[in-house]
Amino acid sequence: MSQFLSYAIPGIPYGCNFALMAVGLVLTFRATGVFNLAFGAQAFLAAYIFDVLVRSSHLPVGVAFILSVLVMSPLIGLALDRFLFRHIPTASTTAKLVSSLGLLIAIPQTLPIFFGSGERENPPNLWLNPNHVYLHVFSTPINGGEVTTTVITVVVVAAVVAMFRWTAIGLQMRAVVESRRMAQLEGINAPRVAAGAWALSSVLAGLAGVLLLPLTASLNPEDPLQFTALLVAGLTAAAVASMRSIPIALATAIGLGVVENLLSGYLPSGGILAQTVVPAFPFVVLVGTLLLNPGLRRLELSSDPLAACDPPPAPPSVSIRDPRLAVPTRVGFWLLVVAFLASSVTWAPITYVTAFDEGLCVSIICLSITLITGMSGQLSLCQAAFAGVGAFAAGQFAAHLGLSVLLGAVVGGLLAAVVGTIVAVVAIRVSGLLLALVTLAFALFADQSLFQYSWTGGGLTGVTVPRPVLGPFNFGSDRSFLLVCFVALVLCSILVLLVQRGTMGRYLAAMRGSPTAAASMGISLRTSRLMVFAMSAGIAGFGGALYASVLNSVNATSFEYVYSLVFVVVVITTGSRTIEGAIQAGMAYSVFLLLLVLYVPARFTGIEPILFAFGAMTYASHPEGIVEYQKSRWMVRVSKLFARYDARRARRTGPPVGESEGTLEGYAQALPAVSVPLGKGFRG
Amino acid sequence: MFGVPGADGSPHLLDARSISIRFGGIAALKDVSLVVDAGEAVGLVGPNGAGKTTLFNCLCGQLRPNGGTVSFDGHVLDDMPAHLRARLGIRRTFQRVEVFPELSVRDHMIVAERARRGDGALWKDLLNMAKPRREELDNVERVIDLIGLTEMADVPVAALSLGHCRLVELGRALCGEPRLLMADEPSSGLDMTETAALATVLRGVQRDHGMAVLLVEHDMEMVRAAVDRVVVLDVGEIIAQGSFETVVADPEVRRAYLGRTA
Repeated sequence: MSQFLSYAIPGIPYGCNFALMAVGLVLTFRATGVFNLAFGAQAFLAAYIFDVLVRSSHLPVGVAFILSVLVMSPLIGLALDRFLFRHIPTASTTAKLVSSLGLLIAIPQTLPIFFGSGERENPPNLWLNPNHVYLHVFSTPINGGEVTTTVITVVVVAAVVAMFRWTAIGLQMRAVVESRRMAQLEGINAPRVAAGAWALSSVLAGLAGVLLLPLTASLNPEDPLQFTALLVAGLTAAAVASMRSIPIALATAIGLGVVENLLSGYLPSGGILAQTVVPAFPFVVLVGTLLLNPGLRRLELSSDPLAACDPPPAPPSVSIRDPRLAVPTRVGFWLLVVAFLASSVTWAPITYVTAFDEGLCVSIICLSITLITGMSGQLSLCQAAFAGVGAFAAGQFAAHLGLSVLLGAVVGGLLAAVVGTIVAVVAIRVSGLLLALVTLAFALFADQSLFQYSWTGGGLTGVTVPRPVLGPFNFGSDRSFLLVCFVALVLCSILVLLVQRGTMGRYLAAMRGSPTAAASMGISLRTSRLMVFAMSAGIAGFGGALYASVLNSVNATSFEYVYSLVFVVVVITTGSRTIEGAIQAGMAYSVFLLLLVLYVPARFTGIEPILFAFGAMTYASHPEGIVEYQKSRWMVRVSKLFARYDARRARRTGPPVGESEGTLEGYAQALPAVSVPLGKGFRG
Repeated sequence: MFGVPGADGSPHLLDARSISIRFGGIAALKDVSLVVDAGEAVGLVGPNGAGKTTLFNCLCGQLRPNGGTVSFDGHVLDDMPAHLRARLGIRRTFQRVEVFPELSVRDHMIVAERARRGDGALWKDLLNMAKPRREELDNVERVIDLIGLTEMADVPVAALSLGHCRLVELGRALCGEPRLLMADEPSSGLDMTETAALATVLRGVQRDHGMAVLLVEHDMEMVRAAVDRVVVLDVGEIIAQGSFETVVADPEVRRAYLGRTA
């Protein structure tokens, strides 16, 4: 019994760490309607600033706490609300999630720009000394850090619960989350309430970060993974509480802390159980909760009653292109392709050619995102994990069976499709936010445990993936391999295009619009989703294998979960609905990276993810993607120029005048300008 | 696995027996039984909150009732998901319009046509065999013409008004060539002449294709014009059924609509 208690009691303060995270997630969701994946990043930021203020600026701990948690954090919250979340329509789950993903990636990357890279070790503690034992509970020693965490957590959670239950502002926050516009019609100052909610949530994040400091041995902005354990446990507790009940979130988090401590205490350390059960435990609980907690299903149901006020989605830029531009566009495109290939295989500097190789392969991975996110409308956050499956399979087959890499890439793709199907069979029960979280859990699981074994990811040494040799042709050099990557990309693009234009593309568009109506027409949502998921995983795996062949050797860190997030964010920035969007994403990703490495001081290398993360934040206003949006704007401008030219010519030559109206025909078709009397075609 | 033919043996096309459903403490439907024969047009009326749309959802598989059984053409539907019920020939429209905003009117019809034929295999897409075929397009054009949206066939539905969206929903359901068409307040958002035209269309498809129609409607003129028989639902229970005239004259129905004191 005493042994049980000596394992269980330290679990309580350990669980309190998750609890702050979980309560913060629940509070943010209830007060702002956003599932803030960046909560951990905000916590990290506050902790980092606190640490800098105490140790580099030598401020007293109390002053540093006030500055970092009570001043800076709410200001960041207000800025997030003012510049980002205020502009997102209430009903758009994807936009909210993508914006928070962008933040999750951008925030840790901004720190090295200001403070230089490198870890900070032995961070300061907030209140009581963590190295001093203050009291014994059932003869288990409790140190100062544990007292601090437990006391502050309990006090803060009680205060938050009281605010939601008994104050008018709590009620107003809930109303604003349901429908900002409806709340305004009832006389609530919705912008101010939402801003207050963001400030409050940010303070909580900052507090969590500062409290967690004694727990983390070091703070390394390049490795946000150390917050992963917290993220998973926090997510689990928030999910058990159905994103609603703050007391349940607290209790679950503490329970998780206790169970995890008991597991690692009782299981023989170094044994196979300790190595597999303990790391996998949080993921199993998380995925199980996401799938089985019926309370979570209701999250998807809440929709803004005034959603119809939102403008219709923008028409694709191709549909508003002046017909006279069709030929020049096509000729220009082919010229560009020929110029790209010719210069790459002849004179382009080899560093650029390598970047192009990578870009083409990343484009294939991005195409898988076009399929799953752009076409089927589901946010999958584990595409890099599928790419990893393909890459490691190709490497292992090449090393152990002597399989040619191209064949290995195809087999790897098929294997990834199988893994994708397994993930999909589990995840298919849910959609939207929950699907994104389940796939995120899989991505975390893949890079934390699946890819760590020598028979999968190759452990620490990694896996070597050679370049392909096809009969007499050796594609060992970067220049020749570019041709292979190019052909592979073209083939994958054709596959995706065929799906997009075929029945499946139409079914997916239908399901994106209204799953209920699609099912009522006889479309099986399950089958369609399963197929798209499998196909998308397959393409990602194939692309991943080729990518690994470009890099020559890959290990578990090559396909970290962060890459899944980065790829999604990059594709959404350029445009997730079109194939050229994916290719622009892949090329931009690798070429930008090269340019930054070549021309910019080392501390600014984090700028690339930041740029894309800011790009992703525009998703709210331009879900079609920045490039696509700009294209549409230019199409309209060119159409106007053409119209002016036509009008002038018509004036000079006299009638027929009607001709000039025809130039904008395509544009007019895409706009709701048509008005036809209803029922004209009715026949009795 | 689902819906063994002949397992039921009911002489009716649709036979719902003792459907009950509770939402929390509220009994939305209490022991409701409803039959629709092949080719028959039945109106389902009742005050707001009577449970009409809930009954629709139970029949189509969007909701699972707590009790009772539904059969369609001899197939027992109870454990059948919504899309398999649709494949048996039940199509519906929705009270709150459910359209696919990014698809054009014509694409709506093509999706419905494909879904009806069960012609959506992924390998056909990958072999570039998924282009709309002549006879598909002919069917689609006929339906678009019938609902009167020929001139906006290529407009994305997001750009259409509510009334047009209702017609798109109706056309989509008709493209499925249903044996039972369930229309949930199709006239809301339409003006009087449009409503009259809609009633004529419903009568027309019912007569020409032998389609059974189950119509939820508040507009009594439309109900009178479009149906053979009326079922009145109030607070989750059927309180009257019969021809339009008898139902309208029923004192119980008048009380339900006008309040207890009337």
